Amino acid sequence: MNTNPNIFTRILSWFDPRGKTLGTYGFMLNRITALGLTLYLFLHLIVLGTLAQGPDAYDNFLKLIENPILKFGELLVVAAVFLHGLNGIRIGLNSFGIAVPRQREFFIGVVVLSLIAIAFFGWRMYFA
Amino acid sequence: MINTPSVPKPGESTTLWLIKLLTGPILLVVALIHMAVNHYIGSIGGLLSHAEVVAYYQSWYIPVMEAIFLTTVIAHALIGVRGIILDLKPAPALLRILDWIFVVVGVGFVIYGMWLLAAVAALG
Amino acid sequence: MAEQWNITLVIRRQKQGQQPYDQEFKMEANPDENVIDLVERVWAFHDKTLNYAHACHHSTCGACGMRVNNVEKLTCITPVRSVVSNGGTLRVDPMRNFPVISDLAVDMGELYRRMELVGHHPVNSDRQEAIQKEFRPAGPADPGEDFIRLSDCIECGLCMSACPIVGSTPDYLGPAPLAGAHQAGLASNPKLLDIVGGTDGVWRCHSAYECTAVCPSNVDPGWRIMELRRMLIGEKLKSWFSPRKSVEVSK
Repeated sequence: MNTNPNIFTRILSWFDPRGKTLGTYGFMLNRITALGLTLYLFLHLIVLGTLAQGPDAYDNFLKLIENPILKFGELLVVAAVFLHGLNGIRIGLNSFGIAVPRQREFFIGVVVLSLIAIAFFGWRMYFA
Repeated sequence: MINTPSVPKPGESTTLWLIKLLTGPILLVVALIHMAVNHYIGSIGGLLSHAEVVAYYQSWYIPVMEAIFLTTVIAHALIGVRGIILDLKPAPALLRILDWIFVVVGVGFVIYGMWLLAAVAALG
Repeated sequence: MAEQWNITLVIRRQKQGQQPYDQEFKMEANPDENVIDLVERVWAFHDKTLNYAHACHHSTCGACGMRVNNVEKLTCITPVRSVVSNGGTLRVDPMRNFPVISDLAVDMGELYRRMELVGHHPVNSDRQEAIQKEFRPAGPADPGEDFIRLSDCIECGLCMSACPIVGSTPDYLGPAPLAGAHQAGLASNPKLLDIVGGTDGVWRCHSAYECTAVCPSNVDPGWRIMELRRMLIGEKLKSWFSPRKSVEVSK
């Protein structure tokens, strides 16, 4: 097939929303959250090494992540877990032939549930 | 033959995809518990302090659950990222190198994570 | 008198070795005519260098697939009123992911080669129906009757254009060939299991379902790809859990 040999153009083409339907937004969301969560995963495992260094090291790290930008980053991680996880359930079920004709409605449900969860966690992180 | 780049074997994609599929729901359940405990009920804006983490790890089933979380999330993430790379159709030789990197990083982080679990549990 | 709208038609022009550019045509259009009619009028009365593919004009041949306002459409069954309003601008581009021969005409050769590879038969006889019966949704035809029935896929290529992975992954078989493999039936060709289950097969699909959204026929490639996955998973689980057969070694 005719594809642009430039690897960056090929990567960017995954995220071109023009003329696309809801299913592609699901694909884009899953891909972005996957990459974000993978990066977060390994960083998270590394910084958790401060736990083994004792209370001072870890509690100092906790003070660092009270920074509003990092706090927002934490909320993004929570959002990514819900979006990726629930959307993944949709894809997994589809792969067994379950709910394929309703995959659009399923995706809308995933986004709504995720938004509720994000609001829940966001309220706890910022206001409670 | 030693210099032949690796050729995907028939059925390999199905197996890896099945592992990704099966780790997914396990991961979602354990991740939700992990997030509720570590990002919601802790005393520091939802986060647990060092003392709270150590106390949490004293029940035997917590390190077991976290170990399952660690292994499934690393497997799922690396198989997933490999899938994204396969979408870019890398050369077979490059894919072979990347596969080795995935295995080393994956196994390495699982070992490190298990050590960390044991070290934190031992602090109590 | 038939209603007449004034619209601006923008067509993507591209000749071999030249930079692509947009060409505008201000024209009158009956909102109930189809987009292919506008393209034909441009060729007939404005610019005979415009190239495009067309044949049956009733959604059977699959030749007139194009992008209309960035969405893949079979232009012979796309009414003007469904894609533009009076006074508006309508954009027509060639399909994505196929080499452009000239203007709106693309090279479909690779798609046809892949359809042959998976054994897709555009014209099905009753005997073919019987073989495929276990994989086909129930239809009105009685397998006992002697008939020739056209398979749903008209090989228009719209799904290949719309698929985000076909765009980035040159060897990915794509929705039409995978759907074709499903229609041909895995039982008809044992090698198909390896073809559809390989790195360029169903596991490159990421459930965008654009293929199903743009298919002008009854194919539903998204569903068929998921069915193939289910079959592959079933085969894999059977191979893990069924007892091994002993192999006779010849002396």
